[in-house]
This record gives sequence, C-alpha cells and structure tokens, in this order.
Amino acid sequence: MQAFLDVFDIYLLEAVINGILLGGVLALLALGLNLIFGVIDVTWICYAELVMIGMYAMYFMVQYYGVSYFVAAPFTILLVAILGAALHYLVIAPLLTAPPINQLLATGGVLFVLQSFATVAFGIDFRNLGIRLPVLALGDMNFSYARLLSFLAALVGMVAVYLFMTRTFTGTAIRAISQDRQIMALMGVDTKRIYLITSALGGALAGLAACLLVLQYDVHPFVGLSFGPITFLICVLGGLGNFIGGFIAAFVFAEIISLGGLFSDLEWGYVLAFAFFIVMMFIRPAGLLARRR
Amino acid sequence: MRLRMAARLVRGLVIAISATSLAVAAQAQDKKIKIGVVFDLTGPLAGGGSELGYIGAKIILDHFAKTGVEGYKIEAVYADAQSKPDIAINESVRLLEQEKVDMVLGFFSSAQCVPVAARVEQLKKFMWMTTCISSAVFNEKGYKYVFRPQASGDQFGMMTMDFIAQNAKAKFDKEPKDLRVAIIHEDGAYGVDVSKGNEAGAKKAGFNVVMKEGYSATAPDLSALVTKLKRAKPDVIFHTGYNPDITLLLRQAREQGLKFGALMGHGAGYGVYEKLKEGMGADATYIFNADPISIWLANQKTMDPKLPPVIKMVGEEFDKIRPGVAIRSAHVGIGASNTYVFMADVLPRAIKKYGGVDPEALRKAALDTDIPEGGTMLGFGVKFYGEGSPMAGQNERSFPVVIQYIDDKSSVVWPKSQAQREAVLPLPKGTTYSNQ
Repeated sequence: MQAFLDVFDIYLLEAVINGILLGGVLALLALGLNLIFGVIDVTWICYAELVMIGMYAMYFMVQYYGVSYFVAAPFTILLVAILGAALHYLVIAPLLTAPPINQLLATGGVLFVLQSFATVAFGIDFRNLGIRLPVLALGDMNFSYARLLSFLAALVGMVAVYLFMTRTFTGTAIRAISQDRQIMALMGVDTKRIYLITSALGGALAGLAACLLVLQYDVHPFVGLSFGPITFLICVLGGLGNFIGGFIAAFVFAEIISLGGLFSDLEWGYVLAFAFFIVMMFIRPAGLLARRR
Repeated sequence: MRLRMAARLVRGLVIAISATSLAVAAQAQDKKIKIGVVFDLTGPLAGGGSELGYIGAKIILDHFAKTGVEGYKIEAVYADAQSKPDIAINESVRLLEQEKVDMVLGFFSSAQCVPVAARVEQLKKFMWMTTCISSAVFNEKGYKYVFRPQASGDQFGMMTMDFIAQNAKAKFDKEPKDLRVAIIHEDGAYGVDVSKGNEAGAKKAGFNVVMKEGYSATAPDLSALVTKLKRAKPDVIFHTGYNPDITLLLRQAREQGLKFGALMGHGAGYGVYEKLKEGMGADATYIFNADPISIWLANQKTMDPKLPPVIKMVGEEFDKIRPGVAIRSAHVGIGASNTYVFMADVLPRAIKKYGGVDPEALRKAALDTDIPEGGTMLGFGVKFYGEGSPMAGQNERSFPVVIQYIDDKSSVVWPKSQAQREAVLPLPKGTTYSNQ
C-alpha cells in the first residue's frame, strides 16, 4: 500500500494536470501551423519565429507604451496575421509550384532573417512582460493561470477554426483547395485569395499564441528554438491538417514529457516523447487519427 | 668642386641614415599582436552574460590598443560564437588560420571551451580563457598552450556547499546530516561540472542529498522538475543554469508553490541581476550567487595600488555603453580582469623575456606568472598549474565568493575573510518561496 501511495500521490495528479496545461500551450502553437500545413501544403519552418515577433510586439506595447494587455493583444494578432499574409505573398506564392525542398529552404531562410532582424532591432536581452498572474491553489497542488488561459484559448481556438472550416463558405473553399489545388481554380475559386486568407488566419493563430506565451516565457530572438521543432512533431503526429489529431497529439506529447519527467529525469521525458513519435511514424505514418487503409 | 662633392656625400649619408632609421621605426611600428576574441554576441548565451564578458574584455583591449605593449601594437579581431560550440570551434580555427591571429582569447560557455581548447592545442596555438569554468577543459588533458585564470566549476560548487555547511546549525538549526539539499543543473559541461563540485561538497559536509538532476537549458517546460522538488522538500536548492531557464524554473516554482530555505546560484544567469530582477521582481531578493567577486565589490585596500584606477576606468567605460544599470554584473569584471592579467603581466614578459608573441613565448610567459593574492581586480592571485599536473593550465590561486542580492545591492557573504555583510538565511517569512 505504501509503495502504491509513494507513486500515486498528489504530485502525480499535479504532474498529470501540468501535462494537460502544457498540452494546451503546444496545441495552441500547433493549431495555426496545422492549418497552413493542411491547406497550402507548405512547411512554414519559420512559424515559431512569427510567434516570437508577436511576443516582442506584446512586450513593447505593454512595457514601453503602457498599452493595456487586452488592447495590445488584438493588435498583436492583427500584426502577426498581416505578417503571415505578407510571408505568403512575398515568399510562398512565387514558390507554390516549386519542389517542396525549395519551399522548405525559403521559409528556413525567413527563419534566419526574422531571428537576425530581432537581434538587430531588439538586441539579445531576455525581456519579460512583468505581468504576474495569480496562481490557482487546490490543496497542495498549484496551477498557473497563464497556462489555464493557454489551455482555454487552444480549446476555443480549435473549436472556432473547426466551425469556420465546416460552417462557412470560405472554410469549405479552404478545405476543398487542400484536397485538390488545381481543380478548384477551374471551378472559379480565387485560389490566391483563399491562400492569402489561410496564411493570415495561420498568422493570427500564431499571434494568439504569442499573446499567451509572453505571459509564461521571456522573449528573446531565439525563443522559437524551444518550440519550433516540438510544434512540427505534434503536427506530423496528429496528421498534417488534422486539427483534432493535432490537438490530441499535443496532449499525448505533453503527458509523456510531464509523466516521463516525473518518474525519471526530465530529459528522459523528452527522450520518451521523441521515441514515441518515431514508433508512431512506423505504426501510423499518416497521423494518430488517420484511417487505416 | 670638392666642396660640392663633399656636400653631396654628406646629404646622401643623411638621407641614407634617415631612410634606415625610418625603416627601423616602421619595422617597430609593424610589430603587433593580433588577438582573436571569441564570445557569444547572438543566441541565448549572449543575454545570459556572454555579451557582458565581451564588453569587459573589449574595454581592456581598447585601452591597451591606445598605448601598445612593449612596442607592440594591439589588434583585436572579434568573432561571434552564436551560442553554439561548433561555431565557436570554426570561428577559432578561422581566426587562427585565416586571420592569422597570434592567439585566441575569451569564451563564455564551458560547452565551447572544452572542444575549442582541444582544437587550439592540436594546432599548437595559444589560448587564454577569460570566463568559462568547466574543469573538464583541463582535467587530465595535459595541455601546453591553454591557460585559464578563472576559477573552475567544481570550486563554485564546493564554495556554496561550504557556505551552507558552515551555516547549517546557526541558520537552519539543523545538523548537516538533517539538512535536505537538492542539486539541479543545466546538463551542459558547465552545469555538470558545478554539480560535481556540489556533490563533493555535500558529501564532505554530510548533507542529505534528496535530489540531483540535470535538464536541458532550452527545455520549454520545467514543471515536472518543480513537482519533484516539491516532493523532495529541500531546505536548500543548489542550481546551476543559464538564462532564461533560471527565470522559467523560478516562475514555474512560484506558480506551483515550491518552498525552500535558500537558493544558491552558480554564476552565468545568476550573475546578471538585472535580468533576474526583470523576470522575478522582488523574488530576486535574497538569492545567493557564487562567482568571482565583482571588481567593484573587491577590497581595494588589499589590492595592488595600480588596479583601482583600472577598475574605475572599466566602470566608467561600461556606464557609457550600458547607462543606468543598477548592479554592474560580475561578468564585466571577469572579462576585464582576466584580459588585463594577460595584457599587463603575461604579454610584456613574453615580449621582453622570450622575445616575441609566438605560442611558445606566450606559453613560457604564462607559466612564469606569479601574481600574489590581491594582485588582480578579482582579488585572487594567478599561478598556473604546470606540466605534469592533472589541471595543467588552470589558475591554482583563483577562488569564487558567495554574494547575496538584497534590496538591489549585491554583497559578499562568504568566505568570511571577504564578507561585507551577514547573510540573510533562511528566506524570511512572508517571501514567495519561504518554507518558514
């Protein structure tokens, strides 16, 4: 009994809930990237760097110009949405018919441009928004409101994107394009416009992630390196373009990290998560929720 | 006619002599030492203290560039290691082989120092490390051309443990065996090395080590680590990290309600108070940090009298570059002092006694170094372990001190001989992390 209690104590429950909250952060990040992946079929390697630019925007508006967090947030979402659209217009659109490796290299180039831009423009200092949200205490367990907010935003974001994609004409057009890029143009759909809308939407979701991540992390030009690779893995694990799959993959990944880290060294949590990813790529290469053929 | 010829002869002679002396002067002027300086100016380590070390080293190099050393001009060539070991190696090799620098100097990260030292030694070139601390750089390597005046990582770890050991009974009212300590560290060469010192110190003191764990400095989440710390209930946490992992850990610790009696940092991110304060606000108060003493806190009365004006000059130059900083980071002083030792002591001896600035002359001059305690801006002396020693190239006279941040000031609290005030230990009741 004692051995059971030693393992299944209150800290295990705390780790499980923290895993869920981390899953919320990762799901939020994966949401926009999944949209781009699924529709435009282009890998935005620089996605986490768009989040970084959004975090800087929040920092400067709130810290330097004294703008309220709630006023700054919509501006940031709008700014990153414009950035997303600009990225598509300037970099992706000319390469849409190019081999995937060219698109990958181009967005990889944008990653370095954005990192270098941030280094030159904002310096290498770590900047902190300075907003400390209260903590939710449940007995011996404590949870961060910032993470709870991310979790809720991810949930609401996913439902909103799902409804948009299934209940609106534009959403239907986006899904149709993701199924057949060439045929939709023949049916009179303005594919350029749809791509631009999708990119802006992906950017807006990156902006939303930035607004919430800046409450939890310091912003610096290389903050994207902590999240970029893991976000890609989640999108692939969930099945490219599959929002629900991505959402579930984020929580599975986060729980492996959290519980693996609790029962062994923290590093092993990440090793297990990546090992799980590799195994799943053999078992379900099209994603967690893909139908078996 | 003869008179005219004699005049021509004299004129010719004068011109020839002038030309010769001009050529000699030009040759003297041409004598220079090219120093390759490598720090992280971009990437996560830049803001974690590397750029501050670079500023300190540059202030000294600029100072000597104005005067030269023993007739040699000083030319510094700067390179950015971008917080990556492979870039640090490539840049060092580029500086040595393409830029033809006579030596390399600097290096913030231990993860870079270890492979770069091996490569530079292989090339039989001279390397002077100002900042990185990992013992693994030297341990049993038998290097001939690599030198470090800076204290080594295990000394950092031992020093903080010694401090707590000496205060366990008086401050925590616990015997050492009853004192619960946790050792956590980033898992690079730097963190691992300091944690080894922590472990050895804990064993010596007889502490109850309830947790020891490493983590990646770029991990996006440390909540599982915090949960384990909560479960382990340590009285004192010994932490070695860069930034922003320090801020992330302490933020998540606050959010998850982690309580402890004291937090001991070990340089790097803990040496940059401005960033701790920005990230943690008032919770940065009462944190301890082991580092070489800040040159602005060192006891100037027991110091070589020629050093206080240099400290003043470094402070003034730093304030021009970074105006309005509340506490000048120890990293600036570390970069400045350790560069100054080379420029003011080793280099003149290499030129005068060993006839130049080739690696052999610099090596011999470095091995001759014999600076007593109080002979550097950091307070410690300099004498390098020689060939045959397992730590050949490491300064045997260096030591870190333990400082505590209180009310936006940093004060030395250990060792007793250097202490400027009594340590506040354990964390006072009512503070965020206090377990009282």
